[in-house]
Amino acid sequence: MVLLSAPRWLRSRLTDRFWRVQEVLKYARHFRGRKNRCYKLAVGSVRRAFVRSTKARREKKRFLRALWITRIEAASLEHGLKYPAFISNLLKSQVELNRKVIADLAIYEPKTFKSLAALAQRRRQEGFLAALGDGKEPEGIFSRMVRHY
Amino acid sequence: RYVRQLQRLQLLFSPTSADSRGARQFVEEAAVDFARQHPDVVLYVSPRSGRAPVLLAEYLNGTVREELINSKTSEEIVQLATKLAGQSGLDIIRIRKPFHTDNPSIQGQWHPLTNKPSALTVQGPRLQPK
Repeated sequence: MVLLSAPRWLRSRLTDRFWRVQEVLKYARHFRGRKNRCYKLAVGSVRRAFVRSTKARREKKRFLRALWITRIEAASLEHGLKYPAFISNLLKSQVELNRKVIADLAIYEPKTFKSLAALAQRRRQEGFLAALGDGKEPEGIFSRMVRHY
Repeated sequence: RYVRQLQRLQLLFSPTSADSRGARQFVEEAAVDFARQHPDVVLYVSPRSGRAPVLLAEYLNGTVREELINSKTSEEIVQLATKLAGQSGLDIIRIRKPFHTDNPSIQGQWHPLTNKPSALTVQGPRLQPK
């Protein structure tokens, strides 16, 4: 016959409190002040840190895009173009590079970026001619669109 | 050609304790089949009394991974062993970037003087461009 309920004089003690506390404190080791040592303060701080890190994943995308735009603006100003002109003319010439790639090119491949800036400049001039001239001048070469069907 | 990153698997268990029952069944039934299916992995079976059953995996880059197999059935140990055999020894942490290059720049990395005119190209009254 197996006894299913333990008698009243049997008590169980919590023996791995240390490891349960360390599970939380290991995420708080790089905090400032008593939050990195005291469990009571660390619990709340670790929970808030996790919540903030999940919410920040959405902000990270915005932040990085703003960073790329700043870098592209700086690089295109070196070649005498402003950022809106650069991006809009690149899109009109059917160069669909995203800002991350263009920013990396501006850092690691400056000559390629210079040629991209020249392409945007040329397309800009052709756009001006098409808008202002409106006569018998021939169509621009870089303004031709390639259709993929 | 594929080189398996798992070098050796050490199965340490106790011949008498209750939680090594799965490990003992694995040794009786499935260990030989596992060894035949993975010929490039060395399987060491060492019964030691008074020891919690553990599966030690050593990889070619030196990392050693211990997996507790307390109260696991033979099939679960087989699945665990095949999972370890398919892993490489790299640490299981978050990969920051899915790409890496040793030579990120081919045309030369940008520095503040890349797009500035140099002494060779300046046309002044005295300097002649080459």
